[in-house]
Amino acid sequence: MKKSQANHRQVAVKEHSDDNQRPRLSAIGMIYLREMRDQFRDRRTMFTIAVLPLVLYPLLGMVMMQVAQFSQQRPASVCVIGVEHLDHAPPLLEGDQFAKGLSDDQAMQVDEYRWDELSRNDSSAEASDAMTAGEQANQWVKSGRYDVALVIPPHFQRDELPGDAQITDLQNENKASGDPSDPPNTSTADNAHADVAVTPATANDVQLVFHMGRDSSAMAKGRVQSVLSAWRSQWVIKRIESNGIDPKSLAPFNWSPTDVASQRNREAAFWSKVLPFIMLIWAMTGAFYPAIDLVAGEKERGTLETLLCSPALRSEIVWGKMSAVFTFSMLTALLNAVSMLVTSSLVLAQVDLGPLSSMGSPPLIPMLWLLVALVPLSALFSALALAVAAMANSSKEGQYYLMPLMMVTLPLVMLPILPGTTLNVGTSLVPVTGMFLLVRSLIEGQYGVAMMYLPVVLTVTLLCLLGAARWAQHQFQSESVLFGAGDRWEFRLWLKHLWRDRKAWPTPAQAYLCGALILIALFFARFLISEIPTGLAGLAKMILLPQMVILIPAVLMACFLTRSPREALRIRKTHWSVLAMAVILGLTLHPTYLMISSFVQQMSPPTPEMLELMLPLSTLVSESPWWMIVLLMALLPAVCEELAFRGFVFGGLVRQGTLRAIVLSAFMFGISHGVLQQSIPAFVIGLLIGWVSLRTGSILPCLLIHLTNNSMSTMLQRIAESDWPIVNLFLHSSATGPAYNPLWTLVSMGLAATCLLYFGNVQSVSDEADSSDQEEADATALDAAGLASA
Amino acid sequence: MIQVNNLTKTYQDLRRGSFTAVDHVSFAVKPGEIFGLLGPNGAGKTTVLRILSTVLKPTHGTAVVAGYDVVRDAADVRRSIGFVSNNTATYDRMTAWELVRYFGRLHGMQADSLDQRMDALFGKLRMDDFRDVPCAKLSTGMKQKVSIARALIHDPPVLVFDEATLGLDVMVARNLLQVIRALRDAGKCLIFSTHIMSEVERLCDRIAIMYQGQILDTGTLDELKQRHGHADFEEVFFSLLSQHEASASSEGNPTSEALTLEDEALSLESLTEHAVPAKQASPSAQDSLV
Repeated sequence: MKKSQANHRQVAVKEHSDDNQRPRLSAIGMIYLREMRDQFRDRRTMFTIAVLPLVLYPLLGMVMMQVAQFSQQRPASVCVIGVEHLDHAPPLLEGDQFAKGLSDDQAMQVDEYRWDELSRNDSSAEASDAMTAGEQANQWVKSGRYDVALVIPPHFQRDELPGDAQITDLQNENKASGDPSDPPNTSTADNAHADVAVTPATANDVQLVFHMGRDSSAMAKGRVQSVLSAWRSQWVIKRIESNGIDPKSLAPFNWSPTDVASQRNREAAFWSKVLPFIMLIWAMTGAFYPAIDLVAGEKERGTLETLLCSPALRSEIVWGKMSAVFTFSMLTALLNAVSMLVTSSLVLAQVDLGPLSSMGSPPLIPMLWLLVALVPLSALFSALALAVAAMANSSKEGQYYLMPLMMVTLPLVMLPILPGTTLNVGTSLVPVTGMFLLVRSLIEGQYGVAMMYLPVVLTVTLLCLLGAARWAQHQFQSESVLFGAGDRWEFRLWLKHLWRDRKAWPTPAQAYLCGALILIALFFARFLISEIPTGLAGLAKMILLPQMVILIPAVLMACFLTRSPREALRIRKTHWSVLAMAVILGLTLHPTYLMISSFVQQMSPPTPEMLELMLPLSTLVSESPWWMIVLLMALLPAVCEELAFRGFVFGGLVRQGTLRAIVLSAFMFGISHGVLQQSIPAFVIGLLIGWVSLRTGSILPCLLIHLTNNSMSTMLQRIAESDWPIVNLFLHSSATGPAYNPLWTLVSMGLAATCLLYFGNVQSVSDEADSSDQEEADATALDAAGLASA
Repeated sequence: MIQVNNLTKTYQDLRRGSFTAVDHVSFAVKPGEIFGLLGPNGAGKTTVLRILSTVLKPTHGTAVVAGYDVVRDAADVRRSIGFVSNNTATYDRMTAWELVRYFGRLHGMQADSLDQRMDALFGKLRMDDFRDVPCAKLSTGMKQKVSIARALIHDPPVLVFDEATLGLDVMVARNLLQVIRALRDAGKCLIFSTHIMSEVERLCDRIAIMYQGQILDTGTLDELKQRHGHADFEEVFFSLLSQHEASASSEGNPTSEALTLEDEALSLESLTEHAVPAKQASPSAQDSLV
């Protein structure tokens, strides 16, 4: 039986020898040139890629210039009512302008009105006078004749301002003491709209009438306010001087802000955020449309089959098309960037944008880094777009499929422009984001930081690129992707199909779904456990809930979607020696695990708050009975996590490619630990356990490794405290608790490597590449061949 | 030249689960022979020919074309065949000349010998009038000529025509049949699939009747008529189909699942009416194939 399975596999690999021929550069070149010419002849593509950027930015620039000119031509218009009351005041007006030293550089058109001009019919009652003048001001501002109206009340003339006269008006006295900082109160928007509800209490205030609904009015209000406060300061100085006090005593010190960032830095800070964002967005857009046209469009027009039955190899077709998509992606990004730079440097030279004036013109030389970084990212987008577009049968369908891809990628591009996001261990691991941040630090001249994270970012980016390219390749090998147009999808039929065509093991799609379900459920489960438990019951709840969330999807899916849950979860018998070796591996791997974990903690130390939060937890752990802790923190997670990740997820993926199964199951396993400090070591250990699981074909050894490892982690403290003489050989106490002796760590690594060698030679329990379904065998063979060539 | 042994192709299908489109098909074609594959829509003809052109991979069985295995030496097989199908369209944004040249280059032909061959081919197929017209602007007949030129450019020993007369008017279809005869006389090995009986009668040296993924019988026109005791080929065809139906139902083997009765009526109708394009006549049957 075993032999025939092995044969089958060999045949499967051999059957694909043709597709593993080395792609010829000349054929790729021919396909590339044809696709490029085809795209250049397509009006829609050319519009999005070439015409739009060349037209868009100059147009935007023109609009900006227009707006700027418009606002320059039309200075804010202000009317001052009651100018005759200003006789005793420091000069407020100078001709039709505010006095020099009060106003900023930009001009304001000021019209003056006398109080009695507006309220000449009734000069006897002051209150009604004020109302009439105020009414007039309100009306003018409402109608838009003036942006802002300033109403100076009559008593300014009569030296009745608070603190001015010695006459003690009870009302005025209260007001002055109650609100000393703001005597000529500026009105609010409500006052402007209210029906001249000038109460006696505010009758002495200068009324500043404006209209919040109009930008010009709101802006003029701000400027007039600063004029008023400068004017008031002059007034205060005058008063203080008349009382014999040196006005300098009001300001015991001054401050002068010094920005050490050079002009270049400031410009770089702005452009290093904006430009990569623009370029990445356009690199994506530039990849999407040609990708749809080159795959889904060709399927729709029926030309793909023509190409497929030509002597060109599938890999040549994929590379040719991918290069064409990549070229368009780069072209679009570059054209947009150049067009934007040229336009903005022209426009910015003309227009003063006030707060945005730090934009300046972009530093060109550092921007070259952006070009370097754009290459792998463009390639990544191209490969992804091509792979996704291959699933569609028409251009229209392609657009539906690319939308989710956009939705997934967009946050990765948005994340780096959020304030405070910097390059660190976490962000450097995020694809696209890491590269973006790396480029930013290069542009800003922080070469040290950039160099430190360069290997990580580069590895992540290249891995993503490799994965995407292989996915695109795989899509072009898959018959169901290229020719699967016929079926009409129906929910009921699909459910029936799921049940009827169940296999002994999960499909890759089910494995992905299971992983996604677990991670999403974990995300929500964490909100339920908001407080750190104080008792054993709380601890049990805190551990049980996530573990159940991990276990339940896998077990349910194994029961309902496969014919044999046992087989689906990969619970298979192994030789006792394998199990014994697993325990030894678990023990000898633990020092290495601790080393990785402390290394990660050094790189990205947990916050003190987090440590403080965890403190009661660790005392709780050390006070509980040891068997309870082993049960809860070692056995339970080992069982649940292994069943889910090395069982269902791994089992679903392994027939598609062993490397993918190991890496993806380890990745999900890592993510499921929630905090970065645990995720990274878990991922590394997950890779090893995944490999053991592949070799042995069962989760039982994995379970034992996991159990041993977790047990050691939870019991290390107790073991160190025990008085067994042998303990001193392995452990010593350090500042952060018990630690392994360096010598033992070294020896254990050697022992662990020996164990791994043993697993490398173990006779595997079942050949998981065996499959009755041809397509699955094909996929496995492809991956095996791909691995071999890599 | 073409050796097909126990070729089987199974699809995963939402409605039927595992569906066998081609069921243990075997046949052989010699050089200088036109082999006709006759059957209603959904019989599996296109699937067989797609396997021969290496676009699809067989689930079981082998096929050897011009000495190359379709799975192991797929690229060599593709280099030895010319494939014309109603599924192999022309590029809209390329001219006739560019398109044929492109495929010639993909076949690895050198520029000068390619140009000579193209000149000759365009002359023979009377395509010089529209050599620089984008294919989008060509009529169906002209497009078909471009496809034929594309398939012949590398002078392959084996030619496969899958429903090649579909949608062509009488004149163009007749022209095509003449081209095919000329190719046979030049010693090429040809496979011609169709659902139109008269074409098979007029053209093919040997005929295989295909239904529900199986070849029901193979032979020359006369052999088939003799063996089944009908002077009329149409009678031969229908008696074979009804025999197969009867045996399938008596065995309790529900192969008739492949085509419902309604679909069948439609596709049989399309067999007798030449001008009706099958795609319009029975879309469901056509779709169920793929």
